[in-house]
Amino acid sequence: MNLAHVHLLLNHFPTVAFGVGVGLLIGGIFVKSDELKRASLVILFMTSALTIAVYVSGNDAQAAIRDRADVSAAAMNRHESAALVAFTFMQLTGLAAWLGLWKWRRTSDSGAATRNMTVVLLLSMVTFGVMARAANLGGQIRHSEIQAAQDSSGAEPEPGIARSLAAYVGTHQWVWPLCETLHFVGLSLLLGVVLTVDLRMLGVGKTLSFAALYQLLPLGMLGFTINLVTGMIFFVATPDQYTGFLFFLKMILVVLGAANVLYFMLFDQPWTIGEGDDAPTATKVIAASAIVIWIGVLCCGRLLPFFGNSF
Amino acid sequence: MNVLLKVEQSGFSQWIRASESIVGYTGILLLHKIGIGVVVGISACIGFRILGFAPALRLTGLEKFFPTLWFGFWLNAASGVILLAIDLTKKLGNPDFYVKMAFITAAVVTVRMLKTDAFGHAAVDTEPPSARAKFLALTSLICWLGAIVSGRLLAYLG
Repeated sequence: MNLAHVHLLLNHFPTVAFGVGVGLLIGGIFVKSDELKRASLVILFMTSALTIAVYVSGNDAQAAIRDRADVSAAAMNRHESAALVAFTFMQLTGLAAWLGLWKWRRTSDSGAATRNMTVVLLLSMVTFGVMARAANLGGQIRHSEIQAAQDSSGAEPEPGIARSLAAYVGTHQWVWPLCETLHFVGLSLLLGVVLTVDLRMLGVGKTLSFAALYQLLPLGMLGFTINLVTGMIFFVATPDQYTGFLFFLKMILVVLGAANVLYFMLFDQPWTIGEGDDAPTATKVIAASAIVIWIGVLCCGRLLPFFGNSF
Repeated sequence: MNVLLKVEQSGFSQWIRASESIVGYTGILLLHKIGIGVVVGISACIGFRILGFAPALRLTGLEKFFPTLWFGFWLNAASGVILLAIDLTKKLGNPDFYVKMAFITAAVVTVRMLKTDAFGHAAVDTEPPSARAKFLALTSLICWLGAIVSGRLLAYLG
């Protein structure tokens, strides 16, 4: 069992779960059920988080089979580029779904909620289309019964979006240091919000109510988004650096971090914490785990050159 | 110069550079990275709050996070001294290193002034932050950004 198996195991999940999410959203809009709409936003957000792990495990899957004669490099390039497009739209949908969930607790403005829902619906429709294409092109790598006929031509494979982006990063020296710098800025914003919210739950600065801390979450999400974008640029540019268990562990921790923040956004328990109140034990445990998760993400990243294949 | 070389070639520096242990170079870099996240992250939360973001956050509560902020700073100062010691002649010969130190000094000074200005009075939670406090908050954010940029560029310049 290696990460190639993980990719094959997980890669059907985004398509199926996303379909369920979109179905619930359309159903929720149709029957005017806020609960259904909210459930769909949760599914879309978590699916987008899990897709990060699915996408990066594709790298190991490619490494495992790329030297085989019966595997077409052109088919893998096409799948990689289609997957990158699908991934981008999936993450945009996940971000819009997260903002929708965040606003749910913040405003009673139904106009804003409707606008947000419309954005999520439009993005998710596009995502579904591009993801189905990525899945189909992925299937063509090994399922010869659906392979396109032109693969057997033997011509140099088209580089596609992903490899073109990698070539751009490789030939423009400023891109890598800029992304590294932004990655530091993003991690600082994210860690700052994580520490402020979760240390408060653990007893620091008790005059802060949870409702007030909730206003900080978009700042943390901004930090995460900066790091997702810059991290993906690193990943696509030099995929060979990001193989192996440690990098995959980092991505798993990111998924756990996404689930962790949902607790604070969905459950009523944290909302009972007013100014001067002690947090319930369950909230404290989840807050402490958030700090461990995000420091863990940071450690996995820093230790990649030490244990992994990165420079 | 002799002293610099002595520090750089001391047994301790050589061990940190060559150590394959996680408490060697890798561990020190990791602590430096965590420290940056803590000091800049908490500064950012405080700075953005002073500038008007998340207005419901009470400053009396945020004030309790200054020890965490300084913990991050001292973690960075300690790990930074070691990272400097093992590469002393090269770092001290790199103008970008002095730019980084200048940004860090300015950031620390503005954060300390901000603490006095925005937090050090009785009406801290009832009156909105003064224009001076907002200026200091913005300056501190810019200085931390400058420290991150010049710090990252140390690996590329010189």
